[in-house]
Amino acid sequence: MKPPAGRLLVEGEPPPALERDLAVIGRSVNRRDALEKVTGQAEYSSDIALPGMLHAKILRCPHAHARIRRIDTSRAEALPGVRAVIGPDNMAGWHTYWYMIAQPAFPTEIAYAGQEVAAVAAESVDIALEALRLIEVEYEILPAALTPRDAMKPNAPLVPILDVERPREGNVQQPVYVRERGDLERGVADADVVSVSRFNLPTQYHVDIQTRCCVASWDGDRLTIHEASQGVWNVKRELAKSLGLSEEQVRVVVKHMGGGFGSKAGAQRVVHYAARLSMLAGRPVRLELTRPEEFLSHPRRYAAEVTMRLGARHDGTLTAIDADIVLDIGSGSLYAGRYALTLHQISELYQCANVRVRIRAVYTNTGPTGPQRGVLDPIATFCTESAMDDLAGLLGLDPLVLREKNHAERFQGFDAGTASLPYSSKRLDQCLATVAEVIGWAERDEKRDAARRGCLRRGIGLAAYCLERGGYAPFSAKADVVARPDGTVELLAGIVEIGGGQTTILPMIVAEELGVLPERIRIHHGDTDGTHYAPSSHASRITSEMGPAVLQAASLVRQRLFELVAPRLEVSPHDLVAGGGRIHVRGAETRGVTFDEACALIEGDEFRATGSRAPNPDDVIFRGFGAHAVEVEVDVETGEVRVLRVVSSHDIGRAINPKLVESQQLGGAVMGLGYGLYEEAELDRKTGMLLNADVHQYRVPTSLETPTIEARNVEGEDAFYPYSAKPVGEAPLVGVMPAVRNAVRHALGFGINELPLTAARVLEAISSRRGADAR
Amino acid sequence: MSRQLPRVKRVAFTVNGQARSIEVAGRRTLAEALRYDLGLTGTKVGCNRAECGSCTVVLDGRAVFACTVLAVEASGRDVRTVEGLAGPEGLHPLQEAFIEHDAVQCGICIPGILMSLTALLDATASPSEDDVRQAVAGNLCRCGTYPNTVKATLAAAEQLRARRAGATP
Repeated sequence: MKPPAGRLLVEGEPPPALERDLAVIGRSVNRRDALEKVTGQAEYSSDIALPGMLHAKILRCPHAHARIRRIDTSRAEALPGVRAVIGPDNMAGWHTYWYMIAQPAFPTEIAYAGQEVAAVAAESVDIALEALRLIEVEYEILPAALTPRDAMKPNAPLVPILDVERPREGNVQQPVYVRERGDLERGVADADVVSVSRFNLPTQYHVDIQTRCCVASWDGDRLTIHEASQGVWNVKRELAKSLGLSEEQVRVVVKHMGGGFGSKAGAQRVVHYAARLSMLAGRPVRLELTRPEEFLSHPRRYAAEVTMRLGARHDGTLTAIDADIVLDIGSGSLYAGRYALTLHQISELYQCANVRVRIRAVYTNTGPTGPQRGVLDPIATFCTESAMDDLAGLLGLDPLVLREKNHAERFQGFDAGTASLPYSSKRLDQCLATVAEVIGWAERDEKRDAARRGCLRRGIGLAAYCLERGGYAPFSAKADVVARPDGTVELLAGIVEIGGGQTTILPMIVAEELGVLPERIRIHHGDTDGTHYAPSSHASRITSEMGPAVLQAASLVRQRLFELVAPRLEVSPHDLVAGGGRIHVRGAETRGVTFDEACALIEGDEFRATGSRAPNPDDVIFRGFGAHAVEVEVDVETGEVRVLRVVSSHDIGRAINPKLVESQQLGGAVMGLGYGLYEEAELDRKTGMLLNADVHQYRVPTSLETPTIEARNVEGEDAFYPYSAKPVGEAPLVGVMPAVRNAVRHALGFGINELPLTAARVLEAISSRRGADAR
Repeated sequence: MSRQLPRVKRVAFTVNGQARSIEVAGRRTLAEALRYDLGLTGTKVGCNRAECGSCTVVLDGRAVFACTVLAVEASGRDVRTVEGLAGPEGLHPLQEAFIEHDAVQCGICIPGILMSLTALLDATASPSEDDVRQAVAGNLCRCGTYPNTVKATLAAAEQLRARRAGATP
């Protein structure tokens, strides 16, 4: 495989071509961090113990909406072994930051059950817990709005929001987004058939298996943070701002972390509290959340209520797309305001001239919300793809044919400037064809009918998806590659290994550019000391944003080595090639030096090159595409849905490491099955308390529910990405839920529009359907 | 209201083949004793109430959740943790297979999964796919490595059988 001629997004000169076949990229190299992890040597933040370390605990409010009338921490402060207590009285006006969004650290009006009221650092966990019991709080309990419906009522209680700087009207975040293209009503009038579907999507919790844990250590001048975050640089900046320190005074270290999935993209509450307590006590402080606290306090996925209207002609041509979306953003949406706009993919998956999307984000007296694997793309995709199957049903068309009929070759924006821009690459049609072929789409009705036995029904469904991925502002990803005279090569990258293989992929890029084995490349990562700013390992960003910077830095090192070697070989640097651990004259492999010999020519201690990612161009649209197909078995007597098979096809460009890509696809599918079938929060409608804040009753998939998952990706060039490697971290979740829903629809003959499709919900839908038929 | 200091007990047991003796509070869990008294932090605690499986260790040949076994209950017994899996001859076949089949992502659940599977492979030379799924049914992995866990375990079982066959004269 030859590397594609590039439009790689880097600052300055584009890296010169390698002029040889790729030797490292495209190989299924085993992940670098696996050895530490299988031997128990990998150190997570919860494994770190520092001399003199204190232990912290947080007092949480049991009410969904309350005012703190009085708080008295004096008895806690007097308890022997207590070293610091913080709360609304001594921390008035203090703000924590997440994505640089300010939140009051200890507000006097509580927004949700489980919100922080005070925190204590003590010599032991037992003493800290005892101190919490000694804190006296008098609450004025206020009426709470627990659902968007309640929160939008005229006299609804006003939620005291966490993202305090966001504009709002009542409990509705501003602005309300209304985006239009063409003339919706005309599109509806032009339609021969109009389908209307209403969908309810639940919130989803991340359930990282490592609960949040921070060890903060203040030495009087500098703060060192060991923690489980997806982005050390995000944490550094947010913490410096929160604590009034310079950025140089904050060092953040994350060598391993036990699951993120978006929940740890910025500085978490525990980090702020641990840091503040350490600064007050002058000792290291460890703050670890319990499993129930994880559920109560950390930003989870948005819940949504969506009404979709699709209009089409008899032949299936879409004439209108109308989506009205109400997002439950809890007591705060901890992400940038434009976030809700990713829901625009409702307008993008299919060619359609007349579109209207309205998005209302509504505050409620429940825990905060934020990004989770795929963020809002699963919502946009679920509604679009479920509605497409409903429309196909009304039209009497094959759902796959309806999709193919409305394939969108180019991006369709809402504004004049983006009305019809090209994608950097799009192979969605091939992904759909692939999953249809593998799942046996053409014979799906015959398969369904043949498999009907007793109370068991079979069904096959599919869904396409589109994600806004491939780089985000501020596009300031930078990386260093250092070569030393002793032959060592080190990559310095301020990224975090979250389990996606980031520390395996990036050294592979360096190795490829230098023509050496990947094992040879050292990496310094997960540390703000010794690295430049790097994006957090979220939003599938690392390969597409850090990849170009790393590639450029390595390429600059190669160019420097060529300059050093060329005079020895009496050729021009342009005549040299790096490969097979050697630098040699093109076409004459014996005329050259070993990589070690080349490095020995470096003057001084090292040669260091910096690579830098350039912003995305304005005239090209970057998206991830793919499709899922699913086969299910439904028991119509118990309502149980069993997924038998998942086929996942993603438009990946080229895989840098196919084995790691496949792992992302397995993991994304498993998490998607949880979202679609099992995971459901039970909120007490009276108190607003989460009733199943544990992993026994909040059911995430286990080995027993996990079906056969097949990854059949579509490959091809995309010159904007390093070696054409498109983002892959989140996409494998996105199409799973609608594919499951559509498969159940195929099995039962009608769609169920509320997730998760638990046995109880499916059974209820079957019963009410029977009741309706009987009438 | 000040609570009484917990009573301290001595626990003598075997951990990864070595005799160990520690003093612990009566209500100290085995997971806490391993992590905080013996420094064996390979054993993780994800829920502390027998729901997630990340604290799984092998106690007298059986996989147990170390967060719901008291340290004193381990007195006189044999405990194996992830730190004891590799031997002088190198990695355990399970560890090798987990690396090769990419059954590891963030890694936090892996020590517990490996110990559940060690108990399985010690008891069952030729496990079926269903045996493997059942053995780790109590180990949650949010990264979703289950399919690769199954593949890796079946490969490790085969490797172990080959080793045993080779060792027999």
